[in-house]
Formats: sequence, structure tokens, C-alpha cells
Amino acid sequence: MVSSDDIRRRIEAALPGAQVTVADSTGAGDHFEVCVRADAFVGRTLVEQHQLVYGALGTLMGRIHALALQTETPQEARG
Amino acid sequence: MNDVLTEIEQEIRDNKVVLYMKGTPAFPMCGFSAAAVKLLREVGVPFKAIDVLAEPEKREAIKQYSNWPTIPQLYVGGKFVGGSDILREMHARGEFAPLVRQVAGVG
Repeated sequence: MVSSDDIRRRIEAALPGAQVTVADSTGAGDHFEVCVRADAFVGRTLVEQHQLVYGALGTLMGRIHALALQTETPQEARG
Repeated sequence: MNDVLTEIEQEIRDNKVVLYMKGTPAFPMCGFSAAAVKLLREVGVPFKAIDVLAEPEKREAIKQYSNWPTIPQLYVGGKFVGGSDILREMHARGEFAPLVRQVAGVG
């Protein structure tokens, strides 16, 4: 079983300074909702932003059934 | 694996809108795949659906092809557009229908 903290730590390690919120949608450790706000997303397409996060999660993805992901840059968050 | 990747390349080249999904448009086997089908139907473009549950070797190959770990995956005009979250986000921004209709030559 994967924990919300596992997910948050992996993303924070790969994207320093990122603000990460993780919700375990069902409490069963296999469905998560993840929001990431990071400077690293500036100038990247949505696909590239999500690929950065999936890359950070690596092998964890194989143990999760569903992960709903939202990414944004700090500028988008303020706007 | 190479044969499967070649087949995928051909599917994406020969069809303007291709959705790799779990189940079929009539019977989606996952809520995220169902949502992608619903969105494409709202936009009103024809699309080719590939059921990765019926073709297990494709389920892994498509993830490798796009460097993307989840299903569904949508390809429009030969390019990977995104998965479930990105389709929803593009739809919310009003960007999804114009992109798909332009490439599909509809509307």
C-alpha cells in the first residue's frame, strides 16, 4: 500500500520547492488526487508537466490504480 | 515488443483521432476511459478506440511509446495529447474541441 506521504516526498525530492497536496481518495492507498505547483513547470506543456511528476513517482505508479493529477505554475496559481 | 510499437505507430498515423482505453466505447471498464469517450462524443468527432484490456501487449507498449504511465491516452493528428486529467483541463479551458475538430476536419 502506498501512502500520501510516499507520493508527496517523491515529488518534493524531484521538484525542489514544489507545493504538493495529496489526497487518498478512498483511504485504501490506491486512488489518489495530487495537486502540484512548481517553478519547474514554467514554459512546459501540460503533457511535459505531468511527465515530470510521473517520472518523480517512478515505480510507485505501478502500485497505484488511479492518480488524478493537476499541475500549475506559481504564476497560474496567483492569476 | 517492436512489432507492437510498429503497430501502434501505424494506428496513430492512419487515424486522426485514436483513443487507447480500458474497455470499449460502449462498455468502458474504467471511469477515466469512460470520461474520455464522453468528451469525444460531446465534441462529435469520429475516433478509433483501442481496448488495451483486449490487447494486453499494447497496454505496456503504449506506455513506453508515449512515456506516459496511465490509460486512457488520446492521440490527435499523430501527436499524443494527454491522459484523462489533461483532457479535462483542456476542456475546461475551452481548448479541447477546437483542437480535435480542426484535425478531424469536423465542424
